Amino acid sequence: MNSLRLGSYTFSSRLILGTGKFSSVSAMIEAVRASKAQLVTVALRRFNREQAEDDLFGPLSEIEGLTLMPNTSGAATAKEAVKAAHISRELSGSPFIKVEIHPNPHHLMPDPIETYEACKILAAEGFIVMPYIPADPVLAKRLEEVGCSSVMPLGSAIGSGQGLSTSAMVQLIIRESSVPVIVDAGLRSPSEACAAMEMGCEAVLVNSAIAVARDPAAMAGAFARAVEAGYDARNAGLMPRSGSAVASSPLTSFLGAGS
Amino acid sequence: MNALPSWLTDSRLSEDIEPLLRQTDDESLERLAAEAQAVTLRRFGRIISLYAPLYLSNFCSSGCVYCGFASDRTAPRRKLEFDEIEKELRAMKKLGIGDVLLLTGERTNAAGFDYLRRSVELAARIMPRVAIEAFPMSVAEYRALAECGCTGLTIYQETYDPENYAKLHRWGPKQDFLERLETPERAITGGIRSVGIGALLGLSEPVGEALSVARHARHLCRTYWKAGVSVSFPRIRPQEGGFQPAYEVDDRFLARMIMAFRTTMPDIDLVLSTRESSNFRDGMAGLGITRMSIASRTTVGGYVEAETAGASQFEVSDDRSAEEFCAALRAKNLEPVFKNWDAAYNNPLPEKERA
Repeated sequence: MNSLRLGSYTFSSRLILGTGKFSSVSAMIEAVRASKAQLVTVALRRFNREQAEDDLFGPLSEIEGLTLMPNTSGAATAKEAVKAAHISRELSGSPFIKVEIHPNPHHLMPDPIETYEACKILAAEGFIVMPYIPADPVLAKRLEEVGCSSVMPLGSAIGSGQGLSTSAMVQLIIRESSVPVIVDAGLRSPSEACAAMEMGCEAVLVNSAIAVARDPAAMAGAFARAVEAGYDARNAGLMPRSGSAVASSPLTSFLGAGS
Repeated sequence: MNALPSWLTDSRLSEDIEPLLRQTDDESLERLAAEAQAVTLRRFGRIISLYAPLYLSNFCSSGCVYCGFASDRTAPRRKLEFDEIEKELRAMKKLGIGDVLLLTGERTNAAGFDYLRRSVELAARIMPRVAIEAFPMSVAEYRALAECGCTGLTIYQETYDPENYAKLHRWGPKQDFLERLETPERAITGGIRSVGIGALLGLSEPVGEALSVARHARHLCRTYWKAGVSVSFPRIRPQEGGFQPAYEVDDRFLARMIMAFRTTMPDIDLVLSTRESSNFRDGMAGLGITRMSIASRTTVGGYVEAETAGASQFEVSDDRSAEEFCAALRAKNLEPVFKNWDAAYNNPLPEKERA
């Protein structure tokens, strides 16, 4: 299996985990282990240096072979995201930053304009920039041009569990992109993660679907296998879809029939 | 009185929630609970964000008949000095608290804007998140507080019935119904990121109050798309003065109201304080409620020494310690979260002063 390449880093796992919303830190850690993820994201909001019990960063940093990607969830503007990125790098030592800018704290949709501005600054500063974005093919190319290491379009709204409702746009992004495309947000089931990989995503990021499962670790394992299956299927060459365009009588028999 | 804003009587803003509030049967309640739980889980996961109140002062210039701090109450008045505030905050921090709500009464000379501003400034150096529940202010005053690191404002309209409001607020600046109603908007305009609203349940007819709160929340969400809006569900509690509420709001109605808000407004924070019993709080956590207070003291101060002088604004019902309450949440497979914010997102604070 080829590696996922992000900046100068390579990963054999193509499942990235979000670490919020779990019923406990230990349930989250078990899920991370079961997923065999090598890259996880953790919100600066949930770094708590003063109370170990409330801290997500500490326990994650103890897992060997795991790279931490802080995220800027909570930021409403480019300026706040850049400030959060600097603090996150200082605290975690990670060169990764997942840029998440949602000015509306209710639906949490990413702001394309502020995201673009923040990414331009952070990429120039040498971060491995991973922006969470609306599924917009033009924005995706703009972010690639300013030096983002991936683009992370949403499958559907965060925590909606509506799956790949942006599938057509994600396919356009994949077709045009020179950086890895990673579907982030909205996936509810392993089959949807598998479908995203079959479509050509280089990885998927899952949080809610695992965190709120009755057995998060088991669900994390199921997602990991689905992601692998989807990736392998894509490389093996999927059979063309049937059901479209089968004419009842030949349409091209006139060709070469003379005059 | 000036004309009421049109949103207050716009039934289109509450047409989805109204039938849910008017149902009274067990079956619909159970169905609503299942839906509320599913919606909460999807959007908020298994976490409950925690905060704790700190009463800075019980000086007050208003005559609210239902309040233990009204200006005609005989109990001694007290306010915390800045060194005491710092000690209280440090004691709270020791309990793990990372999100504080600073409270005062209505504006007085003893505890006015400058006192509050300095208190916020002090708190923002110690706590990642600071919010206030105090007297209504001007846009410029809110801007000054936001610049000191104030992130949130809680202000209850108490009742959305203007006539009843006039009777319940006997004197003082709080008599101005409209000024209070428009306070969240002034705060948002001044740069306060999130506002919490609510009605003090029991003062007026409960379904009508719930509809008004829903309209208010939707009006704010629609008009100020970047502002966070949360709804609290305070039910009137025994307090000095012995006020008896005109309407009984029983547990079943309150639960229905909370769950109806959750299913019709799936992504706003819904807040429940220690006014409510441990049984009710534990039951509602995850059934719509996403934010709860812990270890609350409703006397002035109270974290350094439990027996601080002075009356309480109301009697706390859930008096469990932070550990006990967190254990109860964990037993329900919910994670109590003490820090769910970062000072990085506050308005510019010098780096050395970050919490």
